[in-house]
Amino acid sequence: MILNLASIALLLAGALFFLAGTVGLLRFPDVYTRLHALTKADNLGLGMLIAGLALQAESWVLLGKLLLIWLLVLTASAAASHLVANQALARGIMPWRR
Amino acid sequence: METLITPGNDAWVAVLNLLLDGLLGLLLLWLAWRTLASADLFRAIVLFIAFGLVLAMIWARLDAADIALAEAAIGAGVTGALLLAALARLHPDRPGTQARPRGSDAS
Amino acid sequence: MSSLYLALALFLLLTLVAGLWRVGRGPTAADRMLAAQLFGTTAVAILLLLAEAMDSPGLRDVALVFALLAAITVVAFTRRAWQPERLPTSEPERLAERAGGAA
Repeated sequence: MILNLASIALLLAGALFFLAGTVGLLRFPDVYTRLHALTKADNLGLGMLIAGLALQAESWVLLGKLLLIWLLVLTASAAASHLVANQALARGIMPWRR
Repeated sequence: METLITPGNDAWVAVLNLLLDGLLGLLLLWLAWRTLASADLFRAIVLFIAFGLVLAMIWARLDAADIALAEAAIGAGVTGALLLAALARLHPDRPGTQARPRGSDAS
Repeated sequence: MSSLYLALALFLLLTLVAGLWRVGRGPTAADRMLAAQLFGTTAVAILLLLAEAMDSPGLRDVALVFALLAAITVVAFTRRAWQPERLPTSEPERLAERAGGAA
């Protein structure tokens, strides 16, 4: 019961972070701030969702697979953010200032 | 647990299934139309990648995990990268494509 | 539980639809690409939820492939389609150019 409630809370928190990431992508002013919003959805949103699903996992194999998916997405999002930010700087896109 | 979340679980599941499938289908059609109608080639490629994602999800909904797997690997992963690489060689000075020739090290 | 998974999947699909606005709008190419990256992550999440809701473990493998190939498109984008006009050769040179030219 406790496990189920914790799982539901984690799933909802993950969905909330996906919503926050999308709102950030839509509302933030430039590439760098949008990268920030995007990585929140990638890392925390998917992380919490996977934690919530992992609490329901029946076997260790399933747990390992979920964890592997999260690690792969983490790697991809970190690499992508670095490449895009680096390239944006190289193209002379200035970070947003108020 | 089932009763805690929803009293009439079966009806909810049916409604949610219908909404999910309907939205996926409409989204696929809309993406296909936008991809074909887009004048900006780069936007068309990004829309095509999104199209591949949605198509893979539709195969998943149809309980065809193997086709979804193929679509995920080929449609969203490899074709997107190939199209981007092709765009980089195409129309270097066309406005809107954002592509630039790589110069001497384009092999 | 199954209805919660389906509801969350539907919610994530709606955020994906909202993200399409940035693909259409996005002033630079990178903005469009970032939206595609977010779609990939959202698709992974939706597939994991669907695997649980539809009780078909094969969908987790689809999510795994998505996670595996998530980086490829963005790498191809930054390496091929979004190069600066003039490639500075090294990091110090690029820093110097930025300090001198752009400010």
